[in-house]
Amino acid sequence: MSGGLSAAASERLPDDIVDAAIAWSVRLDYNTATPAAKQAFARWLDADPRHAQAWGRVAALRSDFSGLPARLAQDVLQAAEAGRRGAAVGRRRALRVLSLSGVALASGWVVRETTPWQRLLADASTRVGEQRTLRLADGSVVMLNTDSAISADFSAERRVLVLRRGEIMITTGDDAGAAAKRPFWVSTPFGTLRALGTRFVVRLERSEVRVSVQEGAVEVHPADGGETVVIHSGERSVLGPTGTSRPVAADADDDAWTDGVITGRDMRLADLLAELSRYRSGRIVCDPQIADWRVSGVFHVRDTERALRFLAQVQPVVVRYRTRYWVIVEADRTG
Amino acid sequence: MRTVECELQREAEDLYRGHHGWLQGWLRRKLGDAMEAADIAQDVFIRVLTRQQPVRAHEPRAYLSTIARGLVIDHWRRRALERAWLDTLAVLPEAEAPSPENRALVLEALIEIDRMLDSLKPQVRTAFLWAQLEGLSCPQIASRLGVSLATAERYVARALRHCYALRFES
Repeated sequence: MSGGLSAAASERLPDDIVDAAIAWSVRLDYNTATPAAKQAFARWLDADPRHAQAWGRVAALRSDFSGLPARLAQDVLQAAEAGRRGAAVGRRRALRVLSLSGVALASGWVVRETTPWQRLLADASTRVGEQRTLRLADGSVVMLNTDSAISADFSAERRVLVLRRGEIMITTGDDAGAAAKRPFWVSTPFGTLRALGTRFVVRLERSEVRVSVQEGAVEVHPADGGETVVIHSGERSVLGPTGTSRPVAADADDDAWTDGVITGRDMRLADLLAELSRYRSGRIVCDPQIADWRVSGVFHVRDTERALRFLAQVQPVVVRYRTRYWVIVEADRTG
Repeated sequence: MRTVECELQREAEDLYRGHHGWLQGWLRRKLGDAMEAADIAQDVFIRVLTRQQPVRAHEPRAYLSTIARGLVIDHWRRRALERAWLDTLAVLPEAEAPSPENRALVLEALIEIDRMLDSLKPQVRTAFLWAQLEGLSCPQIASRLGVSLATAERYVARALRHCYALRFES
């Protein structure tokens, strides 16, 4: 179906829509907009959900630059460019061609390398392998899992936490300091979540958001305007491009990471290793022959070396370190 | 899916076994520094490992050295930026400099921005930085650069399209 209502956050949008969003941004954000232009923009924005999506992305590009010391940034970037311009022209031309092919080949990596930058501009963040607990002004407690980033946007009317990357656990506070208790929202690219007195875990993936509620309930409002769903204590649900899945009984281990562990119960070995690799730089490769093996145990995420050693002790596998960042787990053939 | 993973891993292993030593030597000759060469060779293989599809390169060394060249350029870009950073900080009044704990983060962000704006024409790059960092409007950019308003708008739009492609289409 063309013009479907729900476009994934990672979905590629048609060029003409992207170009139109940029043209609007130039007209409205970088010029003095007339009331007529604003009205025409509002009509364009409403005409197609993909318009709003493209607009959101262009706005995100703008926000990437906010928060930097403008003068200093300007001076450094211009000086670096000037220094390069002084270099031999012939070399520069050659480098330019090469750098384009380098980017094309490594495209999967470019996405990952933008993360430090997003991390800088978010209000709080963790690096790979790090976990952090924050106490917010309203008494809420937020725990960030590995490689995560959030911004807090609290106003007189509402408390909004924007999940930019990774996974968080929220225990909402009673907001005693406010005149009236303000609603607590978590905003994600796939929709917003309204906390109804609660403790819950939100995990942002490339193409979906997973919500697991430990206490209270959470109301899910999908970004595509789909039906609102309530997830109750002990339930989990997935919010993705095709809407919200029906809540099902939660895995008791959804919040195990808050205790610093992965509790595997009959877990696919490949899934366990994928989880562990979230907590360390580089890559853990699972030999496909043993990917479906089932493992159980408690694995420490704050010390993944130890977790891998433990795995090799309790399973007939060997852990091979090709380099510090490249670990291969395969069947132990020595018997 | 599984067969793809299998092929990916086998391919990476073959590349590593057959060419890692050669690649390090090649980089060492280019950079004149064994430690930097080892680091970049390492990064090349991390990229090879994080691909989603096998490349089935007929010329594995040409393939690896293409990735390595991209990384060497990043390395030079980074060097140039770090030098500019130190030079700029040196002449900045104490009060205007970022706090020591923020410095590394700001530098990291600037390196990312610098990389992202690579391959933009100098005037486009300048127009975009004025717009994003100083909040200049297109008419202001036009008069500063001495170009027409339409040209200034085209510059900003082109830079936005470029950044959009890197962020959302790569």
